[in-house]
Amino acid sequence: MILLPCPYCGPRNVSEFRYVGEVSERPDPNETGVEEWRTFLYTRNNPVGWTTETWFHSAGCRQHLIAERHTMTNEVRASRLPEAQLPEGQEERATGGNVAGDGGGAIY
Amino acid sequence: MVERAPVARSPIAPAPPTTIEYGWEISARSSDAELKITDCTPLAKVLVLAPMYGELARALGVPFGRAARDTHGTLVVGSGPGEWLLLAAPGTNQAVGKRVEVVQDEGLVSVFDATHGRALIRITGPRTPDLLAKVCAIDFADEVTPDGAAFRSSVAKLVTDVVRDDSGGARSYLLHCERSSGQYLFDALIDAGDEFGIEVDGFVDPGDRGV
Repeated sequence: MILLPCPYCGPRNVSEFRYVGEVSERPDPNETGVEEWRTFLYTRNNPVGWTTETWFHSAGCRQHLIAERHTMTNEVRASRLPEAQLPEGQEERATGGNVAGDGGGAIY
Repeated sequence: MVERAPVARSPIAPAPPTTIEYGWEISARSSDAELKITDCTPLAKVLVLAPMYGELARALGVPFGRAARDTHGTLVVGSGPGEWLLLAAPGTNQAVGKRVEVVQDEGLVSVFDATHGRALIRITGPRTPDLLAKVCAIDFADEVTPDGAAFRSSVAKLVTDVVRDDSGGARSYLLHCERSSGQYLFDALIDAGDEFGIEVDGFVDPGDRGV
């Protein structure tokens, strides 16, 4: 079983998540060429090793998260919210909190 | 021709004998088994979406992952980041919604009545953690999910809001899911609880003591 640490809910079975894809920088559609745009849309690095991916916690908090996962061992060394989802004034929300904690959220 | 008031029906078929109460067709069955399952769908269910740290969040006073009753007896559940589920007595859905709508919040706020769009099930008894452990991967130990804990996870492979809401000293959980999956979840819980002697209990309005 693969466990993914959700920044809000804590470690959950990977079956609760939907894989979105490798994190890649979106080129400016007004300045990019066809080749670069096609590469952004369809080409993936798919490395053997550490990769940064976006996942969607569809059976939990229904938020996107970014996880660093090793594609050989499925070890996950970090997860965080995408910058666009961070609450105002908050620089980072790594996995934290506890279901039983005062602040809500969860880690087990 | 005699004019009759419309009768609301839960997506979960009521166990006979049935009766009409609070405008809903409900089971009139009464069980004194140690492990009971009750269709609580007649309860008012109001969903609120609002900024996680806004004025409305402060007014509701319940963060994500927690559940508590307000002064009106409404159970306020922090069901997601910036997402709340309000459970109240049958027929109070409009009053609950209005109480929320009057709160001024700078962010986008959405309040909608999901009473007839969702199913709500309560299971009560000391063996409820054993039952839930068969259908859900979350740890139901007191240290992890004490009374007042709330989370959304997969229960019998169905996305379900789970609220630990002990009742009269007995361990109890509320399970909230989409209406179309209510009967499935009810049947799955009965199937999982069969070895613990689970029995269906009829719905009774909790009245003044709140949901």
